[in-house]
Amino acid sequence: MPHLPPTNQSPLRIDTSWWRKFRTLRDEPPVLEGWVFGLVGILTVLGLWWLVTLGDPVKRWVDPYTLPSPAETFGSFPELWERGLSISALTSLLRVCGGFVIAAAIGVPLGLLSGSYPRVGAFFKPFGIFGRNVPIAALIALTLVWFGLGELQKVMFIFLAAVAFVLFDTTSAARSVPDRFLETAYTLGARHNWTKGLRLAAGIAAVYALLASVGWSWLKESVTLASEAATAGFWIRALAGFVLGFGLWFPLLSHQVLRKVVVPMAMPDVVNSLRLLFGLAFGYIMLAEVINAKRGLGALIITSQRQGPREHVYLCLIIIALLAWGIDRMILMVQRQAFPYLKHGQD
Amino acid sequence: MARIEETAGAAPCELQSLPDDGRLRRIVEFDSVTKTYHPGTSKAFTAIRDVTFHVEDKPGIGEFVGILGPSGCGKSTVLRLIAGLAPQFPATTGKVLVDEQPVSAPGPDRGFVFQDYANFPHRTVLDNVAFGLECSHVPEKERLERAREWIGKVGLDPKKDAGKFPHQLSGGMNQRVAIARTLILGPRIILMDEPFGALDPTTRQNMQDLLVALWKELEATVFFITHDVGEAVFLGDRIYVFSASPGTIVNQVAVTPPDRKSVEMQAVPAFQESVRHIRNLLDQAGRSSSNEPSA
Repeated sequence: MPHLPPTNQSPLRIDTSWWRKFRTLRDEPPVLEGWVFGLVGILTVLGLWWLVTLGDPVKRWVDPYTLPSPAETFGSFPELWERGLSISALTSLLRVCGGFVIAAAIGVPLGLLSGSYPRVGAFFKPFGIFGRNVPIAALIALTLVWFGLGELQKVMFIFLAAVAFVLFDTTSAARSVPDRFLETAYTLGARHNWTKGLRLAAGIAAVYALLASVGWSWLKESVTLASEAATAGFWIRALAGFVLGFGLWFPLLSHQVLRKVVVPMAMPDVVNSLRLLFGLAFGYIMLAEVINAKRGLGALIITSQRQGPREHVYLCLIIIALLAWGIDRMILMVQRQAFPYLKHGQD
Repeated sequence: MARIEETAGAAPCELQSLPDDGRLRRIVEFDSVTKTYHPGTSKAFTAIRDVTFHVEDKPGIGEFVGILGPSGCGKSTVLRLIAGLAPQFPATTGKVLVDEQPVSAPGPDRGFVFQDYANFPHRTVLDNVAFGLECSHVPEKERLERAREWIGKVGLDPKKDAGKFPHQLSGGMNQRVAIARTLILGPRIILMDEPFGALDPTTRQNMQDLLVALWKELEATVFFITHDVGEAVFLGDRIYVFSASPGTIVNQVAVTPPDRKSVEMQAVPAFQESVRHIRNLLDQAGRSSSNEPSA
């Protein structure tokens, strides 16, 4: 119940009017009422937009070149679809996913190790500080020098932009597992289990090897996998991937306290942080796509700005925001399924 | 009914011990144990000083040792030294022996029950109770069977409660899970740091009765820290009274072990007399030490 401020009315006549509730601090409205307020917010913006772009194109408050009317904007959707909206959205999404998978594959285990072994954490701390403070846009120049103009550059840009954040958040998540649980595990006999760690880490390392060999070839847009598999580089990368995966996961999986307590207890925070970072990365990819991309939502926006139609710039912005929000909700749903023991999914 | 053999100072157990050849094995022994944090700096703090005691491994029965003392007197330090948990472990000086061997690391032979239960939030009741068996590679079928049995033994419903997560349980139920999880491993020593401190009085008395019932069949040595003198007198065979910081044992009192329910026992006049007596000792312990902090 909300705490009502004292009134000068008789104590028996409590004011329960809507206006009173509106003025009460932290009085949660029913779900439906909350939605109505959200809808009113959207309609307000649309209404203002409609108002300033009302009437004959030459007599408007804001000229159609700067801001087309809502009808013109939404009416241009079929045309945008024709220009390959779906393939562009998918391309952007795949680029983000690619970079993000690499960032998570390295940042998460490294963070779990950093949070569990403070000396490892101290070693990686400078990299984390550097990576989180370097301006993201500056990485574009760097990745262009290192990885050229193709898909590889876009994926590596996302990887470099995200990995320091993943590392930092995962380190905090692992460190915030209370000592009490580690102590309990020790007194219940948790210890090293090298053989189990060996088996599990080898399995994970195989996936890393696959990503490093086949994934890399795919990003380099090689003609065929068969010709690529004939090169020594392919197998060296596979081996490097295997060693990396094994090195990252073996220490985590061979200790029962880490495998059974620290890692699973840190996971909800890790996934939550990955979800928020994915939203950020989806924003970053537009930066990379502005430069020399044939496809992608960023490319679509920049060509619309240069060559028109201007309506598509606005439409793309709306679609990007909706898409990002949709993905966020999807991950949140998976998250709630994966961690049923959390009383409420973290929002 | 309360048999009180009071002895002052830290040495009296020596008088009771048998000659070397015929003496009983000592399940836990402290020999002039001192723990100082940041020694040699301005932050130096001595948690316990010169703690000496031993508990013998009497065949067929375990002893129940209650530990009483003012707040911050290092009671937990004693338990954590036995368990081998950092940063209390290792001791600065002195010897901590378990089963006549120096303690080197924590292990399942010394179970620990904390006040805040520390049940793993990502595991169901069943998987929490089975955790220790899982760590020692007991096959799944067997360990789940035994876990169900123990869930029943601590007074939970093996059918209804086994699949619940800790956040769905009350404090008392959570502590039952934590006790089952520790006792299922059959530890020789059970260390309990104010395990019922956060429970309401009724739940607390039920838990005391439960603990007595379980302990009788386990034959383990129990160290039990509490602030409740009545609880210590009810549960204990022996009570160590600690002085204020830096803590050391100032009194050892033997008391009658529990032979009836907690509520009934606490109503007996002789029981109340013991409680009053120990409360006085505790009072003195708090005072004497604050006058001579170096004692």
